[in-house]
Amino acid sequence: MKLIKISVPAFFTLFSIIFLIASLNLPKANLGNPDAPMYFPVGISIIMLIFSVIYFIQEVKNLHVENEEIKQILSGRTPKLIGFTLLFGLIYAFIFNPLGYLISTIIYLGALLFYLNGYKKWLVNIIVTISFSFISWYAFSELLGVSLP
Amino acid sequence: MRKLAMIPILLLLLFMTACSGSASGNGDYPTQNIEIVAPASPGGGWDLTARSLEKVLSGQELVKQNINVVNKPGGGGEVGWKYLKSQDSHSLAVNSSLVLTNNLLGQSDLTYKDFTPIATLATEWQALAVPADSEFSTASEFLEATKADPASIKIGVGPGLGNDDHLSLVQAASEFGINPSQLNFLVYEGGGDVVTALLGGHVDAVTTSLSEVKDQHLAGKLKILAVSSEKPVKGIEDVPTWKEAGVDMVFPHWRGIMGPPDMTEEEIAYWDEKLSKMVKTDEWKKILENNDWEGFYKNSEETKAFLQEQHDLYKQLVEDSGLVN
Amino acid sequence: MDVSSFMEGLSIALEPMNIMWIIIGGFLGTVVGMLPGLGPATAVAVLIPITFSMNPISAIILMASIYYGAMYGGSRSSILLNTPGDGSAIAATFDGYPMAKNGQAGPALAISAVASFIGGIIAVVGFIFLAVPLADFALKFGPAEYFLLMLLTLSAIIALSIGKMVKGFLAMMIGLALSTVGIDTQTGVYRFTMGIPHFSDGIDFLIVIIGVYAIGEVLYNFLNIDQQKKEKKKVGKVWFSKEQWKRSRMPILRSGPIGFIVGVLPGAGGTIASMIGYTTAKQTSKNPDEFGKGAVEGLAAPESANNAASVGAMIPLLTMGIPGSGTTAVMLGALIMLGLRPGPLLFEQQPDTVWALVNSMFIGNIALIIINILLVGLLVKILDTPAKVLYPLIVMLAFIGTYTLSYSTVDFFLLLVFGLFGLMMKVMDFPIAPLVLALIVGADMEQNFRMAVLSSNGSLGIFFSSGVSIALLVLTILSLFYPLILKLVKNKNNNKTQDDEVYKSS
Repeated sequence: MKLIKISVPAFFTLFSIIFLIASLNLPKANLGNPDAPMYFPVGISIIMLIFSVIYFIQEVKNLHVENEEIKQILSGRTPKLIGFTLLFGLIYAFIFNPLGYLISTIIYLGALLFYLNGYKKWLVNIIVTISFSFISWYAFSELLGVSLP
Repeated sequence: MRKLAMIPILLLLLFMTACSGSASGNGDYPTQNIEIVAPASPGGGWDLTARSLEKVLSGQELVKQNINVVNKPGGGGEVGWKYLKSQDSHSLAVNSSLVLTNNLLGQSDLTYKDFTPIATLATEWQALAVPADSEFSTASEFLEATKADPASIKIGVGPGLGNDDHLSLVQAASEFGINPSQLNFLVYEGGGDVVTALLGGHVDAVTTSLSEVKDQHLAGKLKILAVSSEKPVKGIEDVPTWKEAGVDMVFPHWRGIMGPPDMTEEEIAYWDEKLSKMVKTDEWKKILENNDWEGFYKNSEETKAFLQEQHDLYKQLVEDSGLVN
Repeated sequence: MDVSSFMEGLSIALEPMNIMWIIIGGFLGTVVGMLPGLGPATAVAVLIPITFSMNPISAIILMASIYYGAMYGGSRSSILLNTPGDGSAIAATFDGYPMAKNGQAGPALAISAVASFIGGIIAVVGFIFLAVPLADFALKFGPAEYFLLMLLTLSAIIALSIGKMVKGFLAMMIGLALSTVGIDTQTGVYRFTMGIPHFSDGIDFLIVIIGVYAIGEVLYNFLNIDQQKKEKKKVGKVWFSKEQWKRSRMPILRSGPIGFIVGVLPGAGGTIASMIGYTTAKQTSKNPDEFGKGAVEGLAAPESANNAASVGAMIPLLTMGIPGSGTTAVMLGALIMLGLRPGPLLFEQQPDTVWALVNSMFIGNIALIIINILLVGLLVKILDTPAKVLYPLIVMLAFIGTYTLSYSTVDFFLLLVFGLFGLMMKVMDFPIAPLVLALIVGADMEQNFRMAVLSSNGSLGIFFSSGVSIALLVLTILSLFYPLILKLVKNKNNNKTQDDEVYKSS
């Protein structure tokens, strides 16, 4: 809990430092002022670093304050749900082109619905999955002319 | 755990479709739907070219198969062309000088040699324009002043350095004996923003496509000092070409079409026949007129030589511009 | 303005065929605009093929009504699901979503439709009388003025995150940092693209919007999804009360003209217009504390502003042939294809076309308010859908919306990353709008700053050199310190009354 609370400002601080280093190492411009591409990102990363540190200090001071929502993230099946959605999102990204829109959407949507809505409501899940996949496929690729794989 | 069991099944499915997808017969090309890749979002020049091709080729029933336009924007054409490279001969992609310059600027490994040239279709011309009340009334006055003090003259260009708008002026400047890397360019988001900046007096001159400024010139809102065409352009005969203005150059901003690598002789001949017919149709001519384009048809053989020649020219220009060391 | 061509335009717009196109376009635009991630630009782009076979006047009327339809529709999903479809619909989430949560979904949808309508009508009237002078005014905006306008927008959004300033600034800095990804416009240097060609055009802000809002919202709702089950949401009435109308009336009338003028500026557009509309409403309000918690005027004002901006954006397109926004750029391409060339000559050579379009805006807005009010009853039903079915569907729509942006699955990974990031921001109580807004204006802001400095040979005096820039500077300072000043004044007054009371009681 405390670890999570402190890891967010730590993440921002780390991000600012990495961004600052990356900005300082940007390639030089061949035309005009060679450092011109660097100024804006360097400025941003310095301001970002300052605010990250302030945020860090604020969080350290308030470490004892409980954040209900972090508790919720870690409780029950919430972490599994979030992980599942993201993981299947990744799989969706990989199968989208090879399998085509229709099949991959049926798989992803079906998996999400079954996992979230439960196996007991299998009929609703299947009807929603199939009808949404077909309707959206038809609407986008036929009516709107979006080329879906 | 049951969910995890689905993954192998998915992989199996994936494998099966990957194998069946690439089967293509020889014999009567084309055997399936044709895909024209526009390596840009809807609305831009490449997209217009692709959609115009679709419209005329299908509308005049020159090609029996269905033609689909596919947008693959990103990386100044890179994303779309990379995609084309992995497709079979039923996919073609629209191109322009960016297929040369991306590589010359070190932004891409792909170059014209990685593809099969099919045709060059149309061209636009480049224009140099100044505000209506500008102190310059001829291109040579402008170039003289720029030669004297390059930093004092702000030139608007968009949407990025290294494009035809930029390089056409680089060529004019170096022909005139100005070091192009000294020119003071302000880079705007797009052609429209460049014109707004000129009309608002925020820059001293702009280099852009003729179509962006032609109407404004006719309405007397700005002056075009020179166009990059061979002969004066219809409708604005009063504007001299660069040649007439004393700078020896012709600079087309061409658009063409190319296919994936290793297309067969028959496939290339098929497109030579269809496209040479297409450019003669009234519908195509109408599209050229609407867009302020000019017919610039070259068949596959001519295009091959043209690309080679353009590649050498652009190589020189990119070096002159100071964009690469 | 030329009365005879105005009348001729009116008669063209009133042809049954064109009225039909207005209604079809408005309806399609509303529907497409409602989907998360599909804003007006995409809506017009995907519907372009329909116009190919039409005559140019009908085509431009159809496209314009799709555009307005999408502007109306964009805020529907902001209000109902906290998932804006476009930058200009972000402001509608600030108070629209809290209203829907409080069982005020119907009134929220209705008032936003009415506000959009009034904003649209104000702007059309402005268009008729002021198109040409305003186009000239827009030209006065050089790089320095654009930079200051964007600075004003950012400071306005920061001023909104009172009480969590540090987090607001951090979110804004992340947005600005993301905006530097891609080719540096001025020098052509590749920044932070990590060798992926897809990133050279930068990170599309729409992906971030869809990720942070739509996916983030769904993940956030997973926190207590199993508790939500029994609690039946009250939908409430479908119309707003007299009290709500009274409160929104003035903000709507004020932000219409503001939105219209901001819309005329090429590149500024609906997002900036709606943000400025929102902050103006908040700062002129008697009860600014209610903003962000479901204040009806906080929804009405930006809705009026962004619709007015969409009409304003037509001015540079039609008078100069210069697209002022992503959507008008797409329209320009399609119009050229049809043989109609917007620009300075259009008004002279084809005035009837221009006036037909202007009149169609009137009719279009009337058609749209009817469509949208009829849809209210239907739309609030979305909230009746069981959450466990609704959320997977939102996720799918988010993926499709992302795909239509650049037809690439690379964006799916970004979508998921930003979804997770959005969840973190919500849990840690970060304001999200500064992130998205900074990303939207960041690249332009940097480039305009650099151009301004370049064109003045390195002197910063250019930012104080024109009346417009000084006015913008003053507004920026005001927007940052207004809440502070207000507090001081209030405290003083409070002290006084307390003193009085003390005096009386003693």
